[in-house]
Amino acid sequence: MATIELDTTKNAVPFDKANIPGPKMAKPVQAEMAGKFISKAKRPLLIVGTAAGDEGVIEAVRSMAEKGIPVAATGSSLKRLKEEGIDATYVNLHALVSYLKDPDWKGFDGKGGYNTTIFLGHTYYYASQLMSTLKNFTKIKIISIDRHYHPNAQQSFGNLKPDDFLKALDIVVAQL
Amino acid sequence: MAIKKGQFTIENLENVQINIGSVVSSGKAEEKEKAKGPTPAPDIHGLRDWDMRLLKRYEPVYSPICDMCCYCTYGKCDLTGNKEGACGINQEAHQAREAMLRTLTGASAHAGHGRHLLNHLIERFGADHPIDVGPTNIKAPVTQTVLGIKPETIGDFVPVLDYVEEQITQLLATTHIGQEGAAIDFESKALHAGMVDHVGMEVSDIIQISCFDMPKSQADAPLVDVGMGIIDSTKPVLLCIGHNVAAVTYIMDYMEEHDLFDKIELAAICCTAHDMTRVNPKAKVVGSLSKQLKYIRSGIPDLIIVDEQCIRADMMRETSKLHIPVIATNDKVMYGLPDRSKDDIDDIIRDLASGEQPGVLLFDYDKVGELAPKLVMKMAPIRKEIGITALPSDDEFRKLASSCTQCGACVIGCPQGLEIDKAMEAAVEGNLTLFEELHDKCIGCGRCDVECPKNIPVLDVIEKASQKVIREEKGKLRTGRGQVGDPEIREEGVNLVLGTTPGVVAIIGCPNYPDGSRDVYEIAEEMLQRSYIVVTSGCSAMDIGMFKDDEGKTLYERYGGGFRKGNLLNTGSCVSNAHITATTIKVAAIFAGRDITGNFEEIADYVMNRIGAVGLAWGGSTQKALSIGTGCNRLGIPVVLGPHGPKYRRAYPGKAYDKDKWNILDARDGSEHNVEPAPEHLLISAENKAELMPLLAKLCFRPGDNNLGRMIKLTHYIELSEKYLGVLPDDWHIYVRGEADLPLAKRGELLKILEEEHGWKIDWDKKKILEGPARKVDISFQPTNVPRLCKGASE
Ligand code: SF4
Ligand code: SF4
Ligand code: SF4
Repeated sequence: MATIELDTTKNAVPFDKANIPGPKMAKPVQAEMAGKFISKAKRPLLIVGTAAGDEGVIEAVRSMAEKGIPVAATGSSLKRLKEEGIDATYVNLHALVSYLKDPDWKGFDGKGGYNTTIFLGHTYYYASQLMSTLKNFTKIKIISIDRHYHPNAQQSFGNLKPDDFLKALDIVVAQL
Repeated sequence: MAIKKGQFTIENLENVQINIGSVVSSGKAEEKEKAKGPTPAPDIHGLRDWDMRLLKRYEPVYSPICDMCCYCTYGKCDLTGNKEGACGINQEAHQAREAMLRTLTGASAHAGHGRHLLNHLIERFGADHPIDVGPTNIKAPVTQTVLGIKPETIGDFVPVLDYVEEQITQLLATTHIGQEGAAIDFESKALHAGMVDHVGMEVSDIIQISCFDMPKSQADAPLVDVGMGIIDSTKPVLLCIGHNVAAVTYIMDYMEEHDLFDKIELAAICCTAHDMTRVNPKAKVVGSLSKQLKYIRSGIPDLIIVDEQCIRADMMRETSKLHIPVIATNDKVMYGLPDRSKDDIDDIIRDLASGEQPGVLLFDYDKVGELAPKLVMKMAPIRKEIGITALPSDDEFRKLASSCTQCGACVIGCPQGLEIDKAMEAAVEGNLTLFEELHDKCIGCGRCDVECPKNIPVLDVIEKASQKVIREEKGKLRTGRGQVGDPEIREEGVNLVLGTTPGVVAIIGCPNYPDGSRDVYEIAEEMLQRSYIVVTSGCSAMDIGMFKDDEGKTLYERYGGGFRKGNLLNTGSCVSNAHITATTIKVAAIFAGRDITGNFEEIADYVMNRIGAVGLAWGGSTQKALSIGTGCNRLGIPVVLGPHGPKYRRAYPGKAYDKDKWNILDARDGSEHNVEPAPEHLLISAENKAELMPLLAKLCFRPGDNNLGRMIKLTHYIELSEKYLGVLPDDWHIYVRGEADLPLAKRGELLKILEEEHGWKIDWDKKKILEGPARKVDISFQPTNVPRLCKGASE
């Protein structure tokens, strides 16, 4: 098990200062716990945004995809993922949250919906708003392993420095 | 004899006296009688069936920006997880109510603007002033479709606005506690608010076009200068801000009469700028809403005139620091200023010039017309003499940048999350490029200033660092042309409905762009090159004109302004958005021969199934942008928002995988057909431009496309997906109804994919599809979502 000293729960304040949705806000999570949580998920879906193509982040996406976690490529992330040979399905994030809300949606593989969503590489305010759909209208677990604290997730990293963020991703991946 | 207000005694009947309080020249009953069509002037529930058809397919999805409700003193109520509040409303219905209320706010802003203008213009030009909007037999298409009447004079719009105002009042009433409780009905109400908004906008623009002789369906409306770099600050600079041109016309008249246009720089921000240039192209356009605080902070304006909508609330604090007097001309924005309407012009000038009063209210527009030019000429030398320095000097700039501790408070406070801290660091090293890049992405909100613990005036620092690029901000804008004329519809309608013109992309709304204003220019350019008709208005229309190609030409100089494929039309200001919906109505009327009068549902059904038009509010931020979009939605026009869009709390995405949602009828016999998901969404957002581009093309598909049209649309969809997302879209095949739908250049390759990946049967000798598509193309197919429109229907 990787034992890098890194506290990912610090600085857990919304990255848009006023983005305080209400009494229920994400629990700040340590990278190791996040990794364990993801590894235990029954039907996880990794939802990546355009910044998932960034150096250091794409490696984490690849690792998770290789562990069998299906990847939903939102925004324009698909181009980079394809270039890297990572298997992913394009979907519009706004449409995706409406699908996830639908008990009859069969998922990308036809095997049914997902019980855990993992967010990575998103435009902050965009993902935050769309997480609020899942938070308010579904029972789906939401975990953010993005660089900034996401109050609408259930678990989220605090706001991280770029280097720490990449280290945190390494720790997550090591748990899978 | 005309009955007048007052008291009357009837001769020989001494004890009888009749009091007449007010006289309604054309009463509601009379109006209703004149109105024609299946649903003239519908009340809230009048088009509910149509709404339910839309909402069944495009189920609303909510994204609360706040999980709580604080509407009443029972609350706050925590509605997280769709819980119910103390009044029984749940999160879903509350969010629907919130979205409806914002739509209504937008609608009332336009309607309030329209009412102010109508009262003013009737007083100035008379109620009998004829409507003149250019070559058309359908002068007010939205009004005619919604209310079932055909206005001829500006006075005919009085009952039209009465209707709009009544609907707004009734809708607002439903937001009170203990009224509507179902999300779905709040949605129907929001759609109603959006529709009446387009009526209000249409009234506002038609009356000003008619009275001020603005361009009337003019494809070659004059080009005017736009940009922060176009103003000659050696002259006195008179800056107007807002949306209602009424008062400013008096200034322009005075300046013309006194030959002042080459002595004073008359410029404006936001839609007043559009409308000023439509009245007189000598006026200049500084730019969109995001330029407002930046331009005030530049210290260049010597006098500011404000009217209404999208004006900064901190105006007086900002302007008084820089000794810029403000004249407020509309009672929607009064800033606590004294009303000097009855005072002598010289006295007002004296008090403003001395700074004794930082601003005044002036509702007498004759006075505004005379006072503003006189005052600005007086202010310019006074301000020069005082030595107003707005932006920091080079020395101050270095000191400010060095005092930054890179704490990041401004970044967290910035709505765009811009990396100001890094730009400060680079600036200390003498590198200004980060600030120059940031300048275009910055929406000029000033949040960073408020957040900085070191009290650094961050926006001033950004603007100082970007002086070089600001000086180069010089573009061209084609002034607002107003409506699309009937002859243009006659020529282009067929291309649009058959799909040989791949679609209409309407780029509208505010400048809250995710990645700077260059996006809208690039989106417009790409779609124009692909022969889409690009229609624009408001702030987006200005930003589109801000960028140039290698030869130094803007898009307005490179592309024609007619309603033809590959043309770029600026309809005008915010209220000119009504002409965009009106254009689709006109296509239904002129090309398809549909009777539009009081016939909203049939026309919306036609638009949704036949006309490949899509709206884009890429930087939509205001409530008005939401109401404009919602009005488009009720008329069957899909709309895309930028990534800030989910903050509007609600969207209408479609579910392509749910086949039952895509059953439509053939009006020839009422038979039901399962069709491709077209348009796939009614209201959706995208994360960035690259994701947006193929989405725009996809949302132009319609069930009514013929083979050639579908082939052209599919070509663009596939090409844009390959270009921006690097792949063939995984749903392209569901839009294929036969081999003739396939893009010519790729036909062989695509047939192979259909066979290998989708199991379709192909006759390779004839290059024909034998089996696979969900339906075959039938050129006589008459798609409709409304059972009563089918032959033999009893409804
Ligand atoms: S309106 Fe209803 S949900 Fe909102 S605060 Fe009042 S009781 Fe609570
Ligand atoms: S003024 Fe510009 S940099 Fe400052 S907070 Fe607003 S958008 Fe960000
Ligand atoms: S808030 Fe002020 S001190 Fe902190 S990074 Fe921004 S500009 Fe620098």
